[in-house]
Amino acid sequence: MISYDVIVIGGGPAGLAAAISAESEGAKVLLIEREAKLGGILKQCIHDGFGLIRFKEKLSGPEYAQRFIDEFHKRGIDYCVLTYVIGIEKLGHKIQDETEQRIEHKLEHDTEYKSGHQYEVRVVNKKGVAAYITKTIVLATGCRERTSKQINIHGTRPSGVFSAGTAQAYINILGQKPTKKCVILGSGDIGLIMARRITLEGGKVCGVYEAKDSPSGLTRNIMQCLDDYDIPLHLSHTVTRLYGHDRLEAVEIMKVDERMDPIPGTEEIVECDALILSVGLIPENELAESLHTDIDPRTKGPVCDQEFMTNQPGVFICGNALHVNDLVDYVSESGELAGRAAAHYRYQDKEYVSIGIDKEFLYYLPQRIHIGDGKGETIFYFRSSRVLKNADITLALNGKEILKKKYRFLKPPEMESFKLDISQFNLRRDDRLTATLKGENP
Amino acid sequence: MYDSERSEWMSRINAERHLNKKLRKVFSENVRVQIENDCIRVSGSLNNWDDIIKACRMCVSKDKRLHVVNDIELTGRTIPAMRTPKEETKELEGVRPDVLIIGGGISGASIARELSKWKLNILLVEKEPDVAFQTSGRNDGEVHPGIDLNKGSLKQHYVLTGNQMFDRICEELAVPFKRKGQYVCFESRYLYPLIAVYAWQRKHICGVTDTRIVGRKELRKREPKLNDSFAFALYNPSAGCVSPYGLTIAYAENAVENGARVSLNTAVLDMDVKDGKIVVVRTNKGRIYPKIVINAAGTFAEDIAAMAKDRFYSIHPRKGTISILDKKAAHLVNSIASAMFLLKQKKTNTKGGGILKTVDDNILVGPNAIETYEKEDFATDRGSIDEMFCKHKSTAKELSEKDIITYFTGVRAATFEEDFIIEKGRRTENIIHCAGIQSPGLTTAPAIALDIEKMVIEELSSIQEVTRNVSYNPRREGIPVLREMTDAKRTEMIEKNPDYGVIICRCEEISKGEIIDALNSPIPVPTVDGIKKRVRPGMGRCQGGFCMPLISQIISEHEDIPMHKVYKTNAESYITLGEVKEASL
Repeated sequence: MISYDVIVIGGGPAGLAAAISAESEGAKVLLIEREAKLGGILKQCIHDGFGLIRFKEKLSGPEYAQRFIDEFHKRGIDYCVLTYVIGIEKLGHKIQDETEQRIEHKLEHDTEYKSGHQYEVRVVNKKGVAAYITKTIVLATGCRERTSKQINIHGTRPSGVFSAGTAQAYINILGQKPTKKCVILGSGDIGLIMARRITLEGGKVCGVYEAKDSPSGLTRNIMQCLDDYDIPLHLSHTVTRLYGHDRLEAVEIMKVDERMDPIPGTEEIVECDALILSVGLIPENELAESLHTDIDPRTKGPVCDQEFMTNQPGVFICGNALHVNDLVDYVSESGELAGRAAAHYRYQDKEYVSIGIDKEFLYYLPQRIHIGDGKGETIFYFRSSRVLKNADITLALNGKEILKKKYRFLKPPEMESFKLDISQFNLRRDDRLTATLKGENP
Repeated sequence: MYDSERSEWMSRINAERHLNKKLRKVFSENVRVQIENDCIRVSGSLNNWDDIIKACRMCVSKDKRLHVVNDIELTGRTIPAMRTPKEETKELEGVRPDVLIIGGGISGASIARELSKWKLNILLVEKEPDVAFQTSGRNDGEVHPGIDLNKGSLKQHYVLTGNQMFDRICEELAVPFKRKGQYVCFESRYLYPLIAVYAWQRKHICGVTDTRIVGRKELRKREPKLNDSFAFALYNPSAGCVSPYGLTIAYAENAVENGARVSLNTAVLDMDVKDGKIVVVRTNKGRIYPKIVINAAGTFAEDIAAMAKDRFYSIHPRKGTISILDKKAAHLVNSIASAMFLLKQKKTNTKGGGILKTVDDNILVGPNAIETYEKEDFATDRGSIDEMFCKHKSTAKELSEKDIITYFTGVRAATFEEDFIIEKGRRTENIIHCAGIQSPGLTTAPAIALDIEKMVIEELSSIQEVTRNVSYNPRREGIPVLREMTDAKRTEMIEKNPDYGVIICRCEEISKGEIIDALNSPIPVPTVDGIKKRVRPGMGRCQGGFCMPLISQIISEHEDIPMHKVYKTNAESYITLGEVKEASL
């Protein structure tokens, strides 16, 4: 059986960056991609705005991906496309009971265990089922879109209800026009991008409706995709019902209260042949879950440390599988860091300090810091749970402030990050790290 | 007049007078009843559907031969007409089948398959673009043990034999079937003696031989996620689950493999009846001249009976909504579970639904039961979902709306007697009714199909010679399920057909090869939903978000049609309008 140092699962921006960085650190790498081509979701993102941070250029999605794909091929990294991971099994017989206590006596004579853990990754493709052995895994499986049923839309079940990504695939990959006249629900970035895309293809966008009282997408997308095309944005509104037996004929729209519950009596019927949904993305972590990684209910991705390692030794996570990023630049960044850490990974028992956070955070990454070796800066990513003005983020060690940063504005759609060399504090196991966020109402 | 006839007539007059008095009390002069020779006709007009149901229920007779016919007009609202396919052809013009089966649900499909043992010209017509499109595709797939039914009904008669046939039928037709058992849980220990008597009666009188009571400990061991407040449960190991549309498709395919013809998108619009015989059946695809007609039209069975001038029962549609949960919630139950709180529960005509684990490891929650005058109202509403979750959280408290991946509504074809009608026409001689088939109609179908087969053969034998179909093969091969194979077997299959190694639906792990197999199956339905029902792409947590464009592409290539001619279900449910630069606006 062929064995690798690092197997990267997913050939989108996160996986490509992870594979390239792991290989440049000297690791033997295999990248596995389930689709026919590398590039992930960027393949269908033909609009511009990618790479502003990394390349200081406005690239289209495929252009951004191509820079990584070229680099990937230049390095001659092993990869397989149209290949689907059907299972990952932990070798080395690390037996866990429910409380995650290791049963030591089973491990004493286990040479695999002493040399570190190994995984067997089973895949299926046109040649059949194959298995590879690897020391580490980098999961870069991306995210998927929330569906109409997950947000309580009722009524009939006609055709013409698309998630924004599906509509985008029909237009940009298959060259098919999915609608003449549509309603877009959700002001997430893909929804905004699709509002413009459909308009450019001659379709009419009746409006973008958002249940929250503030937009979910980036401000620049609101301006460039809605304002520039006179597409109205209706905040605190949602779609509650679908009409039409075969193809969608109309949707019912209602105003919602602060708890996002529809207000009776505000029903309005809008005729349209399609409903495009941009109502949130969910990290796709079925493989991570099969490995029993802990999942953070806030990010819906695995809990990780400053090296992007999950609570399963040797299993790393990056990109939108870890948390839904706003910009692809951060996706690549996390991929690079995870890839590098995977390349240098050696099994050892580590101790961790978790970071406590308050309710003003939507989420905060990493959730825990491992103690001990490893110098250098740690990147922290966070989002606020609501719009805040003149906000302060404070990181405290045992109640003592170790970092404070100011932000004029914090908005949930915009992810923020900062760096800190946490190793300088020589953390110990019973130390307490807490992050607090304070700000004014806008 | 003989004395016996006279006394029967007198008692009928008395009963009628008595019923009319009762009706007058509630509905004043708006509703009347007339007891006729072969039915109880309730007429008048009311402006509320629930009142109509109430009036008709009041008239249900203990005499099992007499069914209530609802002739009460619903004022102020229009009952929607049956939806019929738009296409009109002459494809079936002049065909003369020995047997015409109306309806491609579980009843029609199973009857077609059993009849295909004989050398007969069998035609099954279904108005929808696929079989199992209405009730048979919209239920929880429980194979019932029959524990809730009393002796004396057709339901009870068929449920026991039907249940026992499932292992063989599903094996023959290559349909996954799991006998996982059913628990009806009780909180109060004081109910134990009562339920013990009930169980004894069911076991020894009604013939549910394997029913028994399990104590708290055993229940906890078998179903650890059920609420720990349950003191005991009524356990029926013979309960099971099957994919209801999977079984219907399998029956229909096996019928086709054995020579039957299935015509989809074919609606029966009218009939010519002469001297008590159906002569012509008019459809949107031409006139059919059948020898025998089988009415297996589900919620429209009454309409078909009316066309055949043989309407002696009524169907009152009752809809129910079921939620489907992510496989991640599969740990909640291993079987079928529901709770009984005797005092809290209102009396309804449903088993009240429950929590059921399907053969594919999804959890189903529901259904509820709502009377409706719309036979094809498959819309869902939030209230039904909330009601079902609220109710079934008292069975398993970890049940969470967050795990919902989709929900659907089905409509039951109930008669006012809440029993099946399996019999020859009363006024028209060449029709057999298989009507009023509601729960447990999936369980009973295999047994009913055998009885109807007998009835048909008996009828036909009196007019022609009927011989065995010597090439009849009860076994259907079905489409291989790659994800369930061993690695070695899977590799062997892929070496023969590399498409089996290309995963299209990532959530359900469905390969391109399986999708193409579905497109080449005996009843190919080259639509997104047709493929979904046969091999499951799009049934997972992303609900087709990733795979729908790929499936459109595969169908388009396989059928050699442009992408915008690939539909969700029928030609009106188009997915795209055409190429971006060409589509007309």
